[in-house]
Amino acid sequence: MKKIAFLAVGALALPLVLQTVAHGQTKLSRNEIINSLRDAEVQVKVNADDLRAQALQNIKQHPGDNATTALPLSEQLAKLRQFNVEITFDFDSDRIRPESYETIGLIADALHTPYLWGQTFFVVGHTDAKGKREYNLELSQRRANAIREALVTTFRVPEGQLEAVGLGEEDLRDPQNPDSEINRRVQLINVGF
Amino acid sequence: MSKIFVFLAMASMFGVWGGGNAAFAQTIGFADAIKILHASCGADIEKYCKNVNLGNNRIQQCLQKNEAKVSDQCKADYAGVYIMLQKRFAAQEAVTKVCDRDIQQLCKLVKPGKGHVLNCLLKAEPSVGDKCNQAITDAGYR
Repeated sequence: MKKIAFLAVGALALPLVLQTVAHGQTKLSRNEIINSLRDAEVQVKVNADDLRAQALQNIKQHPGDNATTALPLSEQLAKLRQFNVEITFDFDSDRIRPESYETIGLIADALHTPYLWGQTFFVVGHTDAKGKREYNLELSQRRANAIREALVTTFRVPEGQLEAVGLGEEDLRDPQNPDSEINRRVQLINVGF
Repeated sequence: MSKIFVFLAMASMFGVWGGGNAAFAQTIGFADAIKILHASCGADIEKYCKNVNLGNNRIQQCLQKNEAKVSDQCKADYAGVYIMLQKRFAAQEAVTKVCDRDIQQLCKLVKPGKGHVLNCLLKAEPSVGDKCNQAITDAGYR
């Protein structure tokens, strides 16, 4: 069995997710998303194609089990207004699990407010470092695509406002603990007007 | 015509959703819509739409295709949520028209586009007329 798990939810993890929601301790709100993303100050020129290419290049240039070098663009991206969300998928699949529909709905509600109109956002998918890097890169891209697709169709977000980027395990949140689940996340980044 | 649309039409005439109480007049955002549908349709989605993804309205289509088997609760809530979502879309369409006078009075110098005008109205809430404020609320912009 492949061990790659970009937020893959097993039978064991599911009750935990539901429990968190029931207790309301880490309950995500629309305004939290808005406040983290609004008021982009810098005019940025980051290209989604460049970012995708850099991730692929990172694997080719620095092969090995885990990524050892940061992406050239990551420092610039880290300065931008952004928000991390957890979205769960079926194992080894880009099917978004129903318990994450509400999170996608919250993102949509936030993007529909005037605070965020007319701005462009990257939906960036990340995995942890378990499994093959190429596989993680490809899976995270498909998953980012699925989120974007849901937002621009079912949730009516203007198409031009969103770019989907999968970075696999090439831009870990916690490089000291590459296999930690903290690395699995979806980053929403405001790349400006 | 699919039965669910007949159902939707009936729901709009008789106020199936919430038994015609105050909730019926509300608009709703996507997240709240999903919260309701997850509770009432979640089991049906897991049963009949196990390999269906969220985009391109595929879940809605899957539920419609399996309408005969889908629970009554899911159908009823789906119809209600659908109406409240449509009301929100209509409110979003109507905001600039409803708020026309307020815009002229309070946000005349704001450059159009990129949400600037609506952000001006949001900031000017105490001076904005009731109708416009209500329209902004109904549109989910607050």
